[in-house]
Amino acid sequence: MMFSVDQNDSGAVRLSGRLDAASAREAERVLDEAAGECVIDMTELEYISSAGLGVLLRTHKRLLSDGGIRLVGVSPHIRDIFKYSGFDKLFPIEAA
Amino acid sequence: MRLELKRELSELQSIVAATAAFFAEHGIDTGLRNVVDLATEELFVNMVLHNTETTADILLEMRPLGAGVEVSLTDFDVDRFDPTRFQPVDIDAPAEERTPGGLGLFLVSKMVDAMTYQYKERQSKMTFQVGQG
Repeated sequence: MMFSVDQNDSGAVRLSGRLDAASAREAERVLDEAAGECVIDMTELEYISSAGLGVLLRTHKRLLSDGGIRLVGVSPHIRDIFKYSGFDKLFPIEAA
Repeated sequence: MRLELKRELSELQSIVAATAAFFAEHGIDTGLRNVVDLATEELFVNMVLHNTETTADILLEMRPLGAGVEVSLTDFDVDRFDPTRFQPVDIDAPAEERTPGGLGLFLVSKMVDAMTYQYKERQSKMTFQVGQG
């Protein structure tokens, strides 16, 4: 499944498909526009690599004074990646 | 499976497609796919971004091993760079002190069963195994 990024009806940024080194720039372009506390819906995200983690970290640090990012719909596999990288301690994560 | 890859991030699509076909052909547990995809991407991207002294294709090789798989990536005509000797990542550091650098190789080291590096005649070869334990 190809990567896509958009906003859903509630204003959350929705990531779908594979967020890898080839698609990270597209994700960053959209997340650079986010303001305030940013909810990121990962329900349809199948895969993330360190390039995607870097995008999340940069966005979180930029928005930290406003609450940072909050991740929802996180699959068990991607939750493992967050656990191994310590990202589960950086921002709130809600399972799928 | 042998696949020659251009030094471009767009080759990640080819890697994913070839890995899926390889798993299907050999009946390998698809539950291992995410770890194999992650480790292969991180090592390939590391070669593309750091071994800039060459324009040669990168060779990806995959073979069944026990219930899992062994994957190798070879980069040709490059200086020695051992990805197994990465800087440790402090996963307990607060967000303000975290940087993305080094995270990829750190994740690979945590998620694969074994990882080795060989350097000979200006060829840099990374091999990892998944599904052995």
